Amino acid sequence: MKNDLSPNGNIQLSLPLNAAYVSAARLTASSIANRFAFNIDEIEDIKAAVSEACTFLIKKLGNTGGDFTIVFDPSRDLMRITVKAAGTLVCGRVDEEMGLVMIRALMDSFDLSFGIDGVLIVMLKKHRKICFD
Amino acid sequence: MNFILESSYDEEHKRWNAVISGEVDIFESDAMKNTLLQLVLDKQGDLFIDCRGLEYIDSTALGALVAVNRNVAAAGYSVHLLNIRPNLAKLFKITNLDHVFILEGDINEK
Repeated sequence: MKNDLSPNGNIQLSLPLNAAYVSAARLTASSIANRFAFNIDEIEDIKAAVSEACTFLIKKLGNTGGDFTIVFDPSRDLMRITVKAAGTLVCGRVDEEMGLVMIRALMDSFDLSFGIDGVLIVMLKKHRKICFD
Repeated sequence: MNFILESSYDEEHKRWNAVISGEVDIFESDAMKNTLLQLVLDKQGDLFIDCRGLEYIDSTALGALVAVNRNVAAAGYSVHLLNIRPNLAKLFKITNLDHVFILEGDINEK
């Protein structure tokens, strides 16, 4: 049954780009990380990182009326999480963002990119347990 | 609300004793900040916040606490955060805010 955890390769969640829904993203991230056998400390790290990524998009893109999308892409020894939203920056300065400092510290890899399509955050979290044995 | 904040003023020690529980993120960090600022506006004193029931706090809520701390410190008092859970203490450490706030154990020990 373990191979059925992610039959399509990844799990996607789309929510309104609104502060009211960050808690839903956090709860989902926590649940999925738990399902894929991350330990309690790793789950807390993933939960906080996803929350900060969503918060960053909301702060930097403003209330566009659009959505943000989170893609959880689990593999044998890590979870790749992509958080993205369309829009243009309402504030360009990002280097001193406390939330990004937290993501860098909590995750094993972090990348932030801006483009004409919006903002894309890609994070990786490794875990010690093997979940598809 | 995802968080609950209860408070009472200790006349003997001239300080606020507050208890916060639940989760504070971007949706409610302003509400938390305004509530705490109102306390010290009503009566000046040290602010002791018991965080035993605080399950999550994000960067915007940490920023709100920094603003409250700045306000309290300007009046010559200090903010004390009690019983922070280890997963949240980690966030204070990552952001170096463990050097800004006074992180302590149980309020009854004071």
